[in-house]
Amino acid sequence: MPLGEERLAAALSREGYFADEGLLTAVHLALLLGRPLLLEGEPGVGKTEIAAVLSRVLGRELIRLQCFEGLDAGHALYEWDYPKQLLRVRTAESRGQEIGDLYAEEFLLQRPLLRAVRSARGAVLLIDEIDRADSEFEAFLLEFLSDFQITVPELATLRAEVPPVVVLTSNRTRELHDALRRRCLYHWIAFPDAERERAILHAHVPGLTDEAAAALVDAVQRIRALPLLKRPGIAESVDWARGAAALADGGNGWPRALRRALGLLIKDEEDTRILERHAEEVFGHR
Amino acid sequence: MGAAPAKQADFLRAIAEAAPRDVKTLYWYARVTLLADITGLAAFDRVFEAWFVRLVEVEAVVPPPGDVDGAGAAAGAMSTSEVRPGGGVEASAATTTGGRTFGPSDGRQHELMRALRDAWPASLPVIPSRRRRPARWGRRLDMRRVWRQARRDGGELTQLRWTARPPRTRRLLLLLDVSGSLKRHTPDLVRLAHTARQARTEVFTFGTRLTRITGALATPHVDTALAAVSRTVTDADGGTAIGEALRRFLANPRFLAIARGALIVIISDGLERGDPTAMVRATERLSRLSHRLVWWSPLACSPTYRPVTRGMADLLRHLDHLGGVRDLATGLSEVERIPSVVAGPRRAAWRRYRSGAHA
Repeated sequence: MPLGEERLAAALSREGYFADEGLLTAVHLALLLGRPLLLEGEPGVGKTEIAAVLSRVLGRELIRLQCFEGLDAGHALYEWDYPKQLLRVRTAESRGQEIGDLYAEEFLLQRPLLRAVRSARGAVLLIDEIDRADSEFEAFLLEFLSDFQITVPELATLRAEVPPVVVLTSNRTRELHDALRRRCLYHWIAFPDAERERAILHAHVPGLTDEAAAALVDAVQRIRALPLLKRPGIAESVDWARGAAALADGGNGWPRALRRALGLLIKDEEDTRILERHAEEVFGHR
Repeated sequence: MGAAPAKQADFLRAIAEAAPRDVKTLYWYARVTLLADITGLAAFDRVFEAWFVRLVEVEAVVPPPGDVDGAGAAAGAMSTSEVRPGGGVEASAATTTGGRTFGPSDGRQHELMRALRDAWPASLPVIPSRRRRPARWGRRLDMRRVWRQARRDGGELTQLRWTARPPRTRRLLLLLDVSGSLKRHTPDLVRLAHTARQARTEVFTFGTRLTRITGALATPHVDTALAAVSRTVTDADGGTAIGEALRRFLANPRFLAIARGALIVIISDGLERGDPTAMVRATERLSRLSHRLVWWSPLACSPTYRPVTRGMADLLRHLDHLGGVRDLATGLSEVERIPSVVAGPRRAAWRRYRSGAHA
């Protein structure tokens, strides 16, 4: 089933995702070994995106579980549809019929983890921003991640026929438990180098000229070296390129368009001020 | 390296199933399977280099300290485990010997500490929990329980049950200045920090550097905890670099997560050597991150104290409260004042020191 690394790289870049060697190896091994892949990195470097791209490349359904504080089993696994059961009881009573099995499939509300287990063709399961969930939820995930099965006491233990490809992402706002890390392959996604970022911009911003892309990437790389509160990720630089391209089409020159679209790249007042102070080294002019 | 057997098995399986082409591929195989956290990368690279590239033996590579959040009981193992990479704190285990020792606590201190242990839980701000619980009253139906009751009563809805969000205590973050200018007060201030110890409290000390002492304090016996703290904190009674210490705190994303939405208490005299700009800026940021930001200074115990040094005058407008704490007794009265600070408007500390009260 697993693609070779070269074919994987080609398939990803056809989808507009340019992975470096480390990430390719990580994805390749995750598919080969059937292990969950834990991705960390600064916001906006494409942690979530890789799961979406992977689902398209593998032709599998993408199932996403967005984590938040207070996430519990009812949100993640399954829940019984109580109102529906209740209605069944009332209608059966009023018509004098048998009530029948109330814990049947039709009353089961499937949440992301259960859907991933029951997906007939296998799914790509994205557990997004796991650091936002409480640490109790991590403990709860452990069982699921080691054998991909879920027990519904009223029904049965459901096991995945085709194990899902699991991608977990974390922004490192909270320390994850060691036991969780042990079960996963791990990769830290760094900011891309200039060449890869140019490739990404060309893929995502149609009609971007080579000089414009070079100037943009140059500026972004320099901005990332500044002591900012939030360093711009790939998502921001793509937005910036799009915004600047739109302004440049409207008759502004490129350098001017870049400066005017800066709000798409830097989203903090304090960072804007820092950037203004370093405008000369970033843009080459005041 | 301390890689778990499961991870080693992954590494070997990876090699067996798809033989790596070259050393570079092997490197990524090993890194993806064996490394569990980016902070361990430097150690990993050294071992890999030595083992696969230069083929020489390395002397013991100090592994990065593991997860200590779950560590609790063993007092002996606690002294140095809190010094983590990534926090801007590069102290190795070997340097943590020159700390300050604190004397044993006397009867009066024990009495005050008991009072403080009672006062803290009642004073900390609360927030509605995200996790709903069955409750007598509430605004959302607990369908699970309603339904179970209805089944018992033959499908008849006899009683409505509710869920509510029970209050949860906000995190308390204590940042404790241990520099030389607070030398006299440090033992009592550490005792004060010890009385605040509970699951959601984090304590850091700073002098010339930043040290997390939450783990060192995590023992019920106060003098054992003090001994552990004195082993962990190596910069006690030294110089001051408040701005730099706070900046380091803020540079660590994990510490930021601790500060977000917390009640932050900084205990320091605010006497910054040199330019106070960094201290003021860091305070401003902490103020934005926190639920409330309180500053306790031993100097403010004096009724004639005015925050007139340049640093304090500038940062006063970012504080929710500036109080005087120099020992356990003053600490107790300030802890009891926290609820009124939490109830009041934000950034109100300057009101208390408006010009004209004392000339």
